[in-house]
Amino acid sequence: MSRPLLEVRSLSKHFPVRAGLFSRTRAVLRAVDQVSFSLQPGQTFGLVGESGCGKSTLGRAILRLHEPTSGSVRLDGRELTTLDSRQLKAARKDMQIIFQDPYAALSPRRTVARILREPLDLHRIGAPASRDRRVAELLDVVGLSIDARHRYPHEFSGGQRQRIGIARALAVEPRLIVADEAVSALDVSVQSQVLNLMADLQREFGVAFLFIAHDLAVVQHVSHHVGVMYLGQLVETSSVERIYSMPAHPYTRALLDAVPAPDPGRRADRLVLEGEVPSPIDPPDGCAFHTRCPRAMPVCRRLEPRTIDIGTNEQHLVRCHLHDPGVESA
Amino acid sequence: MSIRPPDMNPGADAALEPAAPPRRTPAKSLWGRALQRFAGDRAAMAGLFIVAVFFVIAVGVWLGWWGTQWSQTGAGQWLGPSTEHWFGTTILGQDIFQRAIFSTRTAFEIGLVVALASTVLGALFGALSGYFAQTFIDGVILWIKGVLDSIPFYLFVAAVAFALKGNPWAMHIAMIATFWTTTARLVRGEVIKLKNLEFVEAARALGLHPLVIIVRHIVPNTFHILLVQATIVFVAAIKSEVILSFLGLGIADGVSWGLMIAESTTEVMAGHYMNFIVASSFLFVLVMGFNLFSDGLQDALDPKRASR
Amino acid sequence: MSIVQNNDSPLLSVENLSVDFSTEAGCVRAVDDVSFQVRPGQTLGIVGESGCGKSVTSLAIMGLLPHPAGRIAAGAVRLRLDGPDSVDLAGLPERRMRRLRGAELSMIFQEPMTALNPVFTVGSQMVDILARHERLSRRQARDRAIEMLARVGIPLPQKRIDEYPHELSGGMRQRVMIAMALSCRPGLLIADEPTTALDVTTQAQVLEQIVELQREMGMAVILITHDLGVIAETCDEALVMYCGRVVEQAPVDALFRAPRHRYTQGLIEAIPRIRRRRLERLPVIPGMVPDLSALPPGCRFSARCGHASDRCRAEQPALESHGASRVACFHPADPT
Repeated sequence: MSRPLLEVRSLSKHFPVRAGLFSRTRAVLRAVDQVSFSLQPGQTFGLVGESGCGKSTLGRAILRLHEPTSGSVRLDGRELTTLDSRQLKAARKDMQIIFQDPYAALSPRRTVARILREPLDLHRIGAPASRDRRVAELLDVVGLSIDARHRYPHEFSGGQRQRIGIARALAVEPRLIVADEAVSALDVSVQSQVLNLMADLQREFGVAFLFIAHDLAVVQHVSHHVGVMYLGQLVETSSVERIYSMPAHPYTRALLDAVPAPDPGRRADRLVLEGEVPSPIDPPDGCAFHTRCPRAMPVCRRLEPRTIDIGTNEQHLVRCHLHDPGVESA
Repeated sequence: MSIRPPDMNPGADAALEPAAPPRRTPAKSLWGRALQRFAGDRAAMAGLFIVAVFFVIAVGVWLGWWGTQWSQTGAGQWLGPSTEHWFGTTILGQDIFQRAIFSTRTAFEIGLVVALASTVLGALFGALSGYFAQTFIDGVILWIKGVLDSIPFYLFVAAVAFALKGNPWAMHIAMIATFWTTTARLVRGEVIKLKNLEFVEAARALGLHPLVIIVRHIVPNTFHILLVQATIVFVAAIKSEVILSFLGLGIADGVSWGLMIAESTTEVMAGHYMNFIVASSFLFVLVMGFNLFSDGLQDALDPKRASR
Repeated sequence: MSIVQNNDSPLLSVENLSVDFSTEAGCVRAVDDVSFQVRPGQTLGIVGESGCGKSVTSLAIMGLLPHPAGRIAAGAVRLRLDGPDSVDLAGLPERRMRRLRGAELSMIFQEPMTALNPVFTVGSQMVDILARHERLSRRQARDRAIEMLARVGIPLPQKRIDEYPHELSGGMRQRVMIAMALSCRPGLLIADEPTTALDVTTQAQVLEQIVELQREMGMAVILITHDLGVIAETCDEALVMYCGRVVEQAPVDALFRAPRHRYTQGLIEAIPRIRRRRLERLPVIPGMVPDLSALPPGCRFSARCGHASDRCRAEQPALESHGASRVACFHPADPT
């Protein structure tokens, strides 16, 4: 087993919640709470969860767009959390991000050519004379014509803008791209085009993706491994086949059940979760999910579950008392 | 990494088919679209016309084409309008028309200098303040702004004029020092909104230095605010000059409408109104025209309609 | 109270509706010759991607088109009131339309935060509607509002009624909006992307609520969405719209089992869905939705259709019956 490209260990990101006239910190928002996972080179890790679960914050914390509160992030063996600003700038060549909102992701008053040249100029990629040619190549790779160079972002559709965003991320030849809900804002017919493009790019250039999404069907399609988040914690992590065929955590089960399938045969005979997602500022005691869990036991209210590996030939991590042999399921 | 186009979906290139041109082609760039909108706004075009006429007058004075005899005395006191003196003369026998024309140049000078300088300062401090909002830099800038805002304008100007006694730029400096705060406040608000947008995050993810991000990515997206504010400050400067001249704190050499109005207070008592009427009318028309122009500009540049 | 008793004749009949918008690029036809009917107790889904005109259609029905940019250019929107008479909403003056809205037909929107007034409590907004339409006293209206909130599954309604929108979660706000829309028991509910902004687990709850309420109250529902999964789960019949026109209309079973129009087929295939085994590549509809101000002559889908002929590129197909479905296509797919 080769060395993972990305190793995240016990990563946490807390936000202080200020209140009062003199900005006394009243409470802490645990947006990301002790998350650990790894990603192999050239593969895709799907991070799935609902709004407020912390997946976007996690993606940004890995890139140090938010500064992690604690924990470690190793990219290709190199610890990112301790880099100084100069080293960090150099490290940014290896990791990029594409965003959800194609309308806000590109500078409105710059042409495509300037948007794509900026990373090349900043990181001094290739000789200056060759960079324009490189911009043309990037546009070609993402399936846009070369005339796009002199146009402005608002002249393009959402799907095309997303392609420009992907071209910008590719410009520095990163090893890891964080795709934060990259296709969620696109129409269905454009979504599949962009997903295919990302798969092609992975095959061609060996770039790894951290694919953050709330759409389980999309995640299944693109990922090799999947992590399910709830209230800042990873509650289940495994290969995509296992998560979708043998979900172990009750929340994963509920998520999978809740997805409306384009199949009229399957109607309303599924488990609908009760209640609302608790506030991340004031999470429940014990297991964060116990307030909505159909299989909650008394221990779930008191004790936070440990991460257990229930997999046989491959890793399948679950944070749930139901799967913890050390806990009495009384 | 060698870039070779991978085996793409053949239909993907159809993604960039330019559609057949629509009936009325909207211009390509954001500025072009704004220009089209502006041109279609009649009040705005009228305003632009008025401003242009006055601008030409001002340039002509500056180049020495007309208005050169503004200070010449001795033509005879309070003559009525005649072919020689189109608007008559003042108490010192100076040609009112010549003085009004010359004042146009003064007005534009003050307006342009103050508008330009205060907009630049406002953009600079507003952007820094907004990007580093809630930090020390923001705190310092906000404090300076607060202090300047709480000093009554004319007291401040009087103080500066006194301190810089004899300096022909005293009034300009005083105005710039107070007018930049409004621009800065508006820019700060806009920058706070902009800095959370994804394209700014993308710039950070690339590793760009914050100052580069501010100058290259953020400030250009505030141009619509800056342009409109500049025109507002222009008008405010001209109007303020009128009152300052009234208070004797105005320009030292040359003449302005403010000075003319100030002089005319005694004349009006004696029943001679031409000086006052002419100066006020010129002032009124220019301010009116500029306001129309400014409103039109604001509508045309409204970014909610400018993009998408 | 306006639940019509006769369940056979349509409650709403949209006939040849066309809606124009004036934009910077000139006049654009956002909805072109759209016709359909909805019966009491039936759920009709309108599905399509952005720009297809589904939202504009619903706004036109409700008389909520932005003014003066949008206007109904042609067609009729007949709503049946008590008895056999119907009224054409398209030509109604605003005054009359206001009396019908809320009482006879109601709409819920995608973004509950912006659809609810943030400076008023939930209760005051509901009581307002009830007092005006049903002429109840404030006490009676408040009781009815609490009852409605309970009906939509909001726990502790007597407490929630005095809360502000920002104190509630997205799912609750959406439920409040549903309660408001249904408080006067309209015969028709139009739901425009009601769950798109919600999490998937909340979405399931809210959809379930809508289906239940519909069953209880016997109303007709028009559900507008881009999500075919939602259509499959909740609708009886569905319309597929593309570039302002209806391209296919069919009972939901037929639509999914045997889609006839190539666009419907492409859409169903292109949606990522949870499968038993992963696909290597997702099937794709090549190309892009054309700009509404620069439409090709002939069938609007022809540029992206793998089965297009010269006739398709020159002539616009009309809706024709093929078994249980109506399709606007010269070369529809075989049912087998």
